[in-house]
Amino acid sequence: MYAKRFFSLVFLVFVATLVGACTNYKEPAQAAISQAESALDAMSVDAQKYLPDKYKEVQDAVDAAKATFEKNDYKGALAAAKDLPAKVTELGTEVAAAKQQAIAALTDTWNSLSADLPRMVDTIQSRVDMLSKSKKLPKNLDQATFDSAKAGLGELKGMWNAATQSFNSGNVEDAVAKAKTVQAKGTEVMAQLGMQAPPAS
Amino acid sequence: MEDKSKSTGSGADNPYAQYHVVKKGDTLSKIAQEFYGDAQLYPQIFEANRDVLKDPNQIQVGQKLRIP
Repeated sequence: MYAKRFFSLVFLVFVATLVGACTNYKEPAQAAISQAESALDAMSVDAQKYLPDKYKEVQDAVDAAKATFEKNDYKGALAAAKDLPAKVTELGTEVAAAKQQAIAALTDTWNSLSADLPRMVDTIQSRVDMLSKSKKLPKNLDQATFDSAKAGLGELKGMWNAATQSFNSGNVEDAVAKAKTVQAKGTEVMAQLGMQAPPAS
Repeated sequence: MEDKSKSTGSGADNPYAQYHVVKKGDTLSKIAQEFYGDAQLYPQIFEANRDVLKDPNQIQVGQKLRIP
């Protein structure tokens, strides 16, 4: 009888200790995982864009800690989550550096395009003006193609204004994308007019 | 026909500037006819190349002329 009570007491103490231990690990593990997830979410757009492999690596580590937590292995989850803040911080630093580098490269591209493309537009404008003065178009240019080129020149000016506006509003990436469209369209218009564009650099 | 390579002259800093290298028998009128379909537009080619041309009737084979 005493033995039975004794073992029941021991069992209760064991269970209480176990529950206590689990509670000790559960909350810190949950907090660490949540913090890592939030920090990762905050940088996910840039991280996936500039360092997708590194982002996946950290995301996988977060997912692994979550999976361990969901199996009620709080101690294991806490151990898995222990390094997450450092990994997320490191990723954040690397993403910021990669983004800065990418923007610097885009700015260089923009500087080059913004120096060249207005001259391209001016050169096309000059030829259109000359051809508009001509009593007859040259042999290699029919009226329909000339009209199309003139319309293309109008489009080019609008496209270039849009690219400039993007740059002025701080969106270098969009500005460069639009400028490259201007370059392609300008090359097409030049070809219509029998002009030669330099090879794209 | 047209030579897009860079050259010294008024279009030197413009990679899109258009050029024509003078060949035997060329005149500014012929060049204007070729590029614009109108020989009467030769003065514009002359004006665009005043840095290398003094007389519209005197162009040299091998000269690189900018075509506006």
